[in-house]
Formats: sequence, C-alpha cells, structure tokens
Amino acid sequence: MTTRELNRRIKASIEEGADEIVIKNPSARHNIAVGVRRPCKITIEGSVGYYAASQLDGPEISIEGNAGWALGENLMSGKITLSKSAGASVAASMRGGEIFIGGNAGARAGISMKGGTLLIAGDSGFLTGFMMQKGRIIVCGDIGDAAGDSMYEGTIYVGGMVDSLGTDAKYEESTEDELIELWAELERNGVAGRPRFRKIVSQKKLYHYDTLERLERTLI
Amino acid sequence: MVYGNNQIWSQWTVDDIHAKADLGRYRIRGMSTHQRVTHFDDLTFLSTGLTRFPLEGYKEQCSTRVELGGLNAENPLVIETPIYITGMSWGALSANAKIALGKAASMVGTASCTGDGGMLPAEREASDKLIYQVLPSRYGANPNHMATAQAIEIVVGQGAKPGTGGLLMGVKVLDEIAESRDLPPGIDQRSPARHPDWLGPDDLAIKIEQLREATDWQVPIHVKLGACRVSDDVKLAAKAGADAIVIDSMVAGTGASAEILLDHSGIPTVPAIVLAREALREIGLYRKVSLIASGGIRNGADVAKALALGADAVAIGIAALIALNCNRDIPESDFEKEIGLPAGQCNRCHTGRCPVGIATQDPELVKRLDPDEGAERVANFLNSMTMELALLTRSLGKGDVKSLEPEDLAALTIEASVMARVPLVGTDKVFGT
Ligand SMILES: Cc1cc2nc3c(=O)[nH]c(=O)nc-3n(C[C@H](O)[C@H](O)[C@H](O)COP(=O)(O)O)c2cc1C
Ligand code: SF4
Repeated sequence: MTTRELNRRIKASIEEGADEIVIKNPSARHNIAVGVRRPCKITIEGSVGYYAASQLDGPEISIEGNAGWALGENLMSGKITLSKSAGASVAASMRGGEIFIGGNAGARAGISMKGGTLLIAGDSGFLTGFMMQKGRIIVCGDIGDAAGDSMYEGTIYVGGMVDSLGTDAKYEESTEDELIELWAELERNGVAGRPRFRKIVSQKKLYHYDTLERLERTLI
Repeated sequence: MVYGNNQIWSQWTVDDIHAKADLGRYRIRGMSTHQRVTHFDDLTFLSTGLTRFPLEGYKEQCSTRVELGGLNAENPLVIETPIYITGMSWGALSANAKIALGKAASMVGTASCTGDGGMLPAEREASDKLIYQVLPSRYGANPNHMATAQAIEIVVGQGAKPGTGGLLMGVKVLDEIAESRDLPPGIDQRSPARHPDWLGPDDLAIKIEQLREATDWQVPIHVKLGACRVSDDVKLAAKAGADAIVIDSMVAGTGASAEILLDHSGIPTVPAIVLAREALREIGLYRKVSLIASGGIRNGADVAKALALGADAVAIGIAALIALNCNRDIPESDFEKEIGLPAGQCNRCHTGRCPVGIATQDPELVKRLDPDEGAERVANFLNSMTMELALLTRSLGKGDVKSLEPEDLAALTIEASVMARVPLVGTDKVFGT
C-alpha cells in the first residue's frame, strides 16, 4: 500500500465512522496520518518517519515506537502520544493540543510553537523552543545548547540540566502551584518522578528595534 | 567636496550615512530596489511583416488562459489570464486591500494569494482561486484553511529579501494581526528565515509529499524562490516535486525589507526567467513544471516578454497596489503631512501610515480604501494588461499567449542580449554565447 493509499484509507474509515483505526507495520514510512481534521482514534504499531501525525485537528494518535522529524507539525487540537524518541523539530509550529514523547526529542523541539503543550519525558536537543511564540514545553530531563533562543512568549520547563541558554532567554523559578500542576501532568502521562522544574522565558529584549529613523519617529 | 556629479558620494549616500549615524542599525523600507538593472524595457518584440501575418486585433481570438501545476495535482490551477495577484500578507496590507485584491482576481478569473500571516477569511470569500502560502514563520497556519485552497505555495525566499524572513513593524502588529499570528501586540516582528520543519532539498521533497497528503493530491504545490542561484535552486525544487516554481527577482516589491538586501542581493527578472527555463529544460521538466515569474511586472508588454522568455504566468504585487491607489493623491489623503513624502515618491509601507488605506492597520486610514471600488480598479488594470498582452500576441501572428517564444524578441542593449539570450537589434548576434 502506498502512503497515499494509506492516508486515503484512514480518512475514508473516519468518514465511515470507524471508532479506532490501527495501522500495523508502518515501516518507518514518512507522512503517515497527515491532515486528519476530525476527532478520531488512531494507533500506529511501530516506528514512523518524518511528518507523522502532522497537520491534524482533533485526533488522538498513539504511536508505539520512534518517530522521524516534525512529528505533530502544526497540530491544532487533539493528542499525540509517542512511546519512544522523536527526531528533530517535534511539534514544529504546533498551535494547540498535546504532544507527549516517552523518550528523548532531537534538536529544535517545539520550534516556532504557537500554543498547546509538548511534554518530553527524557531529554531534548539544541535550540529547543527556538522562536517559540506561545504554549508550554516541558522537558523532564536535560536540554542541549541555546535553549529558548529568541522566544517571544510561552514557557519551557526543564527538570534537568541546560547546556546553555539561547539569545534573549532567561531562567525563572517555578511557583509551587506550577510545580503541583506539572507533577499532576506527569502522573497523568505515566512519567515517574517529581523534578523541581525551572522555567525558561523570554527576556523580551528583542521585541523592538532600539531606534527609529528621524522621519519614522514622527510617523510611528 | 561632495554632491554635484560625484558618483561615489552622491546626495543619497551622504543622507544614508547621516541616517545610519543617527540610527545605529540597518535601514528599512518598502517598495523595491533602487538599483538600475536590465529589465523588460531593454527588450523589444519583432512583430509581423512579410514573413508572418498578424491576427486582427479585435476580431480574431487570442487565448490567454493558462493551466498551472498540472504535473501531479488532480485540479491544476486554471486562470483566464496569465497574471495573478502575488502573496502579500494581511498585516502588511489592510483587510480592505486583501479583500479588494481577492475580488479583483475573481472578477477577471485569476487567482490571488495569501501571505505571511495566514488566511484572512474575508479574502477567502472574495477570491474564487486562492493560493495558500506556507512560509517559514507559519503565522496563522491552519490545515483547515489550507484544505480550501486552489494551490499551495511553499515560500523558500522572496526576491526583495532573499535569505531573510518577513518583517512587520510593531505599528502594524495590532490586536487582530497579533492574535492571528500568535505574537505579543506591538512587537517588531522579524519572521524566521528557515522553515521550522525542514532544511535541505531532500527534506523539502518530504514536505511537498506531506502537503499533498494534507490536501489529498487535489491542488498544485508551488515553490517560491528568491532569484539568486537560480539554476541550482530551480533544479532542486523541481526534483523535490514542485508542480510550479515561482521565481521572484531582485526588483520584486515588499512591504518592508532591510534596504541593504533590497539593493544588494538577487538577480533581475530577465536573467532569472532564462536561467530557470534552461534549468528546467536540462532536467527534462520544462513546460511540465510550470514557471511563474515575478518582480517588476508593470504592463502587458512585461507580461508578454516574460512569457516569451519562458514563463507560463506572472504574479504582480506593487502594480496591483498602484492600481488600488498606492502613491495617488486622493481627496482624503495628505501625503506630505501623513507620510513625509509627496505622492509618487512614497515607499514607506513599513510605517503603517499609508495615506490611501492599503499598507496600514489604522482603522481610520483603512476606511480610505473601499474594497469594491478598489476591486473595480484592479480588475480594470488586470483586464487592460491582458488586452495589451493579447494585442502584442496577435501582432506577432499568434492566437495563444502560450505560443510566445524567445524568437519573438530582440535586445536593445548588449547586456539584455546576454541575459535574455536573444539577438541584439540590428545584428544576428546573441552576445555571450
Ligand atoms: C506589501 C507587500 C507585501 C508582501 N508580502 C509578502 C508575503 O507575505 N509573502 C511573500 O512571499 N511575498 C510577499 N511580498 C512579495 C510579493 O509576493 C512578490 O514577490 C513581489 O511583490 C513581486 O514583485 P512586484 O511587486 O514587483 O510585482 C510582498 C510584497 C508587497 C509589495
Ligand atoms: S502609498 Fe501606501 S502602499 Fe503605496 S508606498 Fe506609500 S505606504 Fe506603501
């Protein structure tokens, strides 16, 4: 079955009102379960390639294995659960919903994120939360270099060590209420432990050009 | 010491240094490059005489309809004139401007295109054929919106600022715009230059497949490139699976760009089209992958020359804005007072103070542009250009704009001969070959 036939089948089954769709032997193929824009349940038994479960609005997708780049890209709503590790750019530009990674995530996790929650049970790579705009990234383990580089808003919570902060990012302490909420979230997702999460947020120093031209000053 | 006829230290250069000495950063403006470049004016058509017969201007048919992106899409983009409205963001432009452009496109049976900021629902309603851009920023990106589009355009680069992302000054990032882009209101928005989910051409091939899957293989996937290393970029985009390639040249317009990029990066439209054509030909995809050219298209002759050089269609930005009243004194406007320059010299789209309601988010200024009247003007302009194009085509003895070819052209300068690969007038010689 080609990827095109597979995705067509998935969408047709949802149209026909299937309660749950199970995909066996995904063979780490790219672009599985792309563009499903309705609530439904899909289980993928095995590892997937790039762009798995991307461009979604509504579904609940569970993947038993690893994933390539850009898992859950542009998610609008719904939930994606990955049992093992994700490649680079997981949750790129996600706008809502939840993504749970049972293992580690690669570079640029939550890049350009615009809403929702990305929860990573393990570590995440460099440039996590790069140019993030809104939403939450929760990393229970460590984060690589340049964490939260050029982020606008939103929060990165980190339980472990951070190799370095990115431009315009800073640490803040989490409040007790935040910690209680985060721990409850870990428990809901079956993640053991109660890390004392630190927050990474924007310093907001890049929000504006420092100066305007003389004429612009009179206009803007 | 300076000024006068001094080539190096011109008045402009001196003013520029003064401005930067005040500012401490690069300068930003809208519109397009100030560089002098070889352009369509340097080419002329060799119309009919005794060797070929013309078609009658107003009687004989001349088809202007083109189909774009038919390689993989079940529903290629069919437009009645090979001129469509390029992607200009709702944010850089007012909602009224976007609606007017969408309506105008529908009135003449062509397409309009979204921009960096997502789809304005009212533009979707106004435009029968809407191209949906997928940009590095992904502001407002929504698969539900994308699914309604007639074509998808992955923006790799723009001619006015290749290698950088969009720019929108805080004065234009007001409530509705900030909300739709998920940005804090009032920030000077500097969009990413790289896509968040793919980097090189191998990834792009997977991204294109993803967008096809997301849209069920129904609509074409375009790739827009800023014209720099045209030959390689075009081949890589075509190999990655693009159905159409938009080549946007160094003279292309912008709502806001660093001036240094506007003036010092990219190549002009004429050589960009020729290099893209030859690149596609080399890999056997010329006329299979559609070629769309943009940058400085102003009238039907520019369109005809772009087509003769090898483009299947063109996209227009600034020309459509001028038809909407950009740089025109209208009764409500006071250019000198409101934007600091007389009508005809304005390039201050980035300030958000557009005196004619086009490049602004100020509710009072936006009112100066009536979307219906604006649509009428842009539709008239599109029709005029299409008539000019058909007129030239018939004068060459051809009944279909798709039959225009390089042999119809001659170059007025040696540079144009080299770049367009057509003979210099008065000679049989194609210089540089
Ligand atoms: C006001 C304005 C806003 C623009 N916004 C975008 C944009 O959002 N995305 C994009 O790919 N290009 C954008 N462009 C560039 C145009 O799509 C196009 O490449 C250019 O206008 C073509 O050149 P022309 O203006 O000489 O016709 C914009 C141009 C203008 C004038
Ligand atoms: S009149 Fe408006 S659209 Fe035209 S250049 Fe000035 S600000 Fe830009």
